[in-house]
Amino acid sequence: MNKPGHPSFLILAVTFALIAWAAFLTGSGIHYRVLGMACFYGALALSWNIFALTGAISLGHAAFFGLGAYGSALFCQYWHWSPYITIFLGGTVGCIYGFLWHLTFRKLRGAAFALATLASVEIPKVTIDNWDRLTSGSLGLVGIARLPPVNLGSITFDVDENLQAQCFFLLMFALVVIYIHFKAMSSKWGWAIRSVREDEIAASTIGVDVPGIRLRALCVSAYLTGLCGAVYAHLMGSIEPALVFSLHFSALPLVLSIFGGRYQALGPFLGALILYPADQLLFHSWFPAGHAAFYGLVMVITILFFPHGIGEWVQQKTKSA
Amino acid sequence: MVRSLGRLAIVLLYMTLQAAVVFADAIRIGEVNPLTGKLAKHGLEIHEGILAAVEEVNARGGIKGSMVELVSRDDQSLPEVAINQTEELLYRVKVIGLVGGYVDALVGPISELAAKHRTPYVASASLQRSLTEGRQNPYFFRVSQLDGVAKPLCDFVIEMIHPKTAAILYAATPGSTEFGHDVEACLRNAGVTIPIVEKFRPGTLDFSSFLLKVRQSQPDILISGGFYPDHLILVRHLREQKIPLPIYLAPWGVAYASFIEEMGEASEGLFGLCAWNPGITLPGTEKESELFVERFTRRFSKPPNTTTMHGYTSARALLAAVDKTLQSGQELSGDRISQQLRSLDLILPMEHLAFNQNGDPKHYDQVVVQIQKGKLVVVYPPNRATGKIMEH
Amino acid sequence: MLFQLLIDSFSLGSFYALIALGFSLIFGVTHTFNLAHGELILLSGYLAYVLGKYFSIPFLFTLPICMLALVFVAMLLHQLLRQVKEPFELNSLVVTFGLALVLQNAMLFFFSANYRLIHVPPVPPLELPNLHLFITQTQFILVGLSLLVTGSIYLLWRKTFLGKALRATIQDREAARLAGINVEHMSLMAFILGGMLIGLAGPLYAQREYLHPFGGMEATLIGVIITIFAGVGRIRGILLGGWILGGVESVTVFFLGANWRELVSALVLIMLIVVRPAGVLSKRAKSERWR
Repeated sequence: MNKPGHPSFLILAVTFALIAWAAFLTGSGIHYRVLGMACFYGALALSWNIFALTGAISLGHAAFFGLGAYGSALFCQYWHWSPYITIFLGGTVGCIYGFLWHLTFRKLRGAAFALATLASVEIPKVTIDNWDRLTSGSLGLVGIARLPPVNLGSITFDVDENLQAQCFFLLMFALVVIYIHFKAMSSKWGWAIRSVREDEIAASTIGVDVPGIRLRALCVSAYLTGLCGAVYAHLMGSIEPALVFSLHFSALPLVLSIFGGRYQALGPFLGALILYPADQLLFHSWFPAGHAAFYGLVMVITILFFPHGIGEWVQQKTKSA
Repeated sequence: MVRSLGRLAIVLLYMTLQAAVVFADAIRIGEVNPLTGKLAKHGLEIHEGILAAVEEVNARGGIKGSMVELVSRDDQSLPEVAINQTEELLYRVKVIGLVGGYVDALVGPISELAAKHRTPYVASASLQRSLTEGRQNPYFFRVSQLDGVAKPLCDFVIEMIHPKTAAILYAATPGSTEFGHDVEACLRNAGVTIPIVEKFRPGTLDFSSFLLKVRQSQPDILISGGFYPDHLILVRHLREQKIPLPIYLAPWGVAYASFIEEMGEASEGLFGLCAWNPGITLPGTEKESELFVERFTRRFSKPPNTTTMHGYTSARALLAAVDKTLQSGQELSGDRISQQLRSLDLILPMEHLAFNQNGDPKHYDQVVVQIQKGKLVVVYPPNRATGKIMEH
Repeated sequence: MLFQLLIDSFSLGSFYALIALGFSLIFGVTHTFNLAHGELILLSGYLAYVLGKYFSIPFLFTLPICMLALVFVAMLLHQLLRQVKEPFELNSLVVTFGLALVLQNAMLFFFSANYRLIHVPPVPPLELPNLHLFITQTQFILVGLSLLVTGSIYLLWRKTFLGKALRATIQDREAARLAGINVEHMSLMAFILGGMLIGLAGPLYAQREYLHPFGGMEATLIGVIITIFAGVGRIRGILLGGWILGGVESVTVFFLGANWRELVSALVLIMLIVVRPAGVLSKRAKSERWR
């Protein structure tokens, strides 16, 4: 019998198989690229879900993403530090904004909270878009420093040029986030989060520091999302406000998490791993112009048949086996 | 509408079959365009232009006996999807050349990938300076550039309008912003007072307050750097509220037959820019232009426009380079095709196509048109003009 | 000039309110977070476009036809959503998200990516030269319609049993069920009414803006923002919320410039939400529990 939140053996096995494939298979470059980006989106979905585990559905995580992207890119541009350092600074910027969220939206719940988070994306977005001097405004930042190669002993991981290395890097990144997400479900902290989600008043009665738990979850989630944004900026090489603050980065983690299973340790990751490669590799080449309709159809059918996400279904299947 | 249904069905079916249709020994070229999303209209137009060029070549028996196969992908207006799909085309499908692309945020990443893979990329609709200056990408070429839009526009305003005051509106996108800055600098240099310089975000549904400011300051001309849908809203609100404005000049979105058709009376007197349109073509290419319009209309059940022609021109350039490579007896490779592109010299309806060492077109200049009685009339430059400016 | 700004604000706000009403009703009664709201409005708009262009039906007559058509579509949507299981709100969000993608591509297929719009025979604006005021026909219609519709729904809300039942369902589903109200019927009614409102908004949207298969997101966002801002299920709050948003936007663009529009709107929105989480017209400043 699995403990709540513990991923079933099957899911673990699949994950390890994927890692092994990425490491050793000499597949086509495009497979590495898509798998890497799927891991990236998996990490993003997991980061969002960490806060969603407290019961708060945020529609504004793009704010952290964009702040992380711009934070890291600007630190790199002005202070010429290595991207491997500035991405953490980017995450910190995201975290600070998360803290501001906590200060302002502390009493909000439900739909009011969702709307406030949605509105809060505009503040950094418009500020950056108008601050021509600092950020080049609407022109966006081009020529952002790429992630430099990492030397581990005799092997060089050229994360930017070599797609296999990039895939590996993103996979490792996702694993770190998976671990943190796992901890947010199955640790003392995890139990506190769960109690806050189930019933805030009851939780505070038994001594759970509800605001503190929410703050911690929010800051971790904001930091990781900002980190994702920073990595994205250095992978792409150029960003603009409309891109990194777009609804796409607020909505996709939500959709992937629900698709994959919100209450599974690997749920959001699984959602990304299934949908993203299917979309980019299969749907795009089957229907160059109609792939989005197929994507939408898959989504509708999945939720109708698996209301708790694919992860939950897999969990049940392996439990009853 | 049944016609458009049929037409679209044909296009979509054709594109769906692209992945399945494989000619033996085919020459494969790839394109990545926004086929869905907000940019879909122009993305599809570029696609059709490229397709027209490919089919033209195949109708003549292909290049040295081999058919040309066009593999199309959608970038959903997202740079990262553009990268994914370009990589798919380069790695899996193994195309020997790339065309297409609509916005510079998407063209940039594609051009970098093309360079990494040593595959030539002829962009159909790239404008910004940063893509060619100082970047020295020997595999990147484009058939358009911002100077070919901003300079004719500015010259036209200064030489033929001589306004005392001007208002500038531009969109918060990199291309439109660069344009806005260019035009503002150019006009200020010429001594024009600019009381309003306004930036708006695409997707804005209402321009009433902006128009109120325009009414207040009464400029002689409004230069609107928004796009097709923005003009649909802005011009109608302008007319509805009877804002006194002598001249409305828009580099993007106005000089289209479909714009005139949708807007009807409200489009009378507006000024726009275009590189080509049916009836507006490089002197000396009238016959070729007419043939193209006729063939295109028969194939796609609608006339081509300037965006279509950008796609067509870029594809013609790539195919001509492929042809020259094969004619000289060499095997196709990215480097050889790029070399041929560098020395290309073609007279096409849209422009006298030749690339400089940065990959920019040497002779890309748009013309200024005015919508008069439902038709596009060229009013600038004088050597291309087909009519005089009509007072509205 | 300030009077003109006021008129523009009311007109824009009324437009926003009309777009948001359908979403608000459906969300309030059934807790469906309909992310395909914008696409449904576009669908209605396209229908009005076709009616006007190919059947030469005058604009005002297309309104009832579109309202009827969208009632059918809304009922279909209701049937689909009945299959969605718990957790309903989040799952309905994802299902309608997927549905929106399907609708976008369907509209692309049938209507192509060309922009379409509806023309109304131009009527010169009402001019008040002393006040420098120009009131256009569209502005009249928008403000008038929004007041009419809001008034009608308000009457329905307060004076009929159906209205009372709907209100009860919005306030507390379980209690309403206990009180003998057929909650499933109420859901159907909400979709029917919501469909009518969406059907009404479509042609107006096509006339004031344009139709494009991928242009639905703006309308959905407006629906979401104003619904939550006004307080779920509060009809007069929608109109007031629309006017406030329209006013803030217009004033910002006029005094600060169009590039600050979204920022100021967001700040004002956040301030008002923090002060009145249950909606702009709510009496208590207590936050609601997340279910």
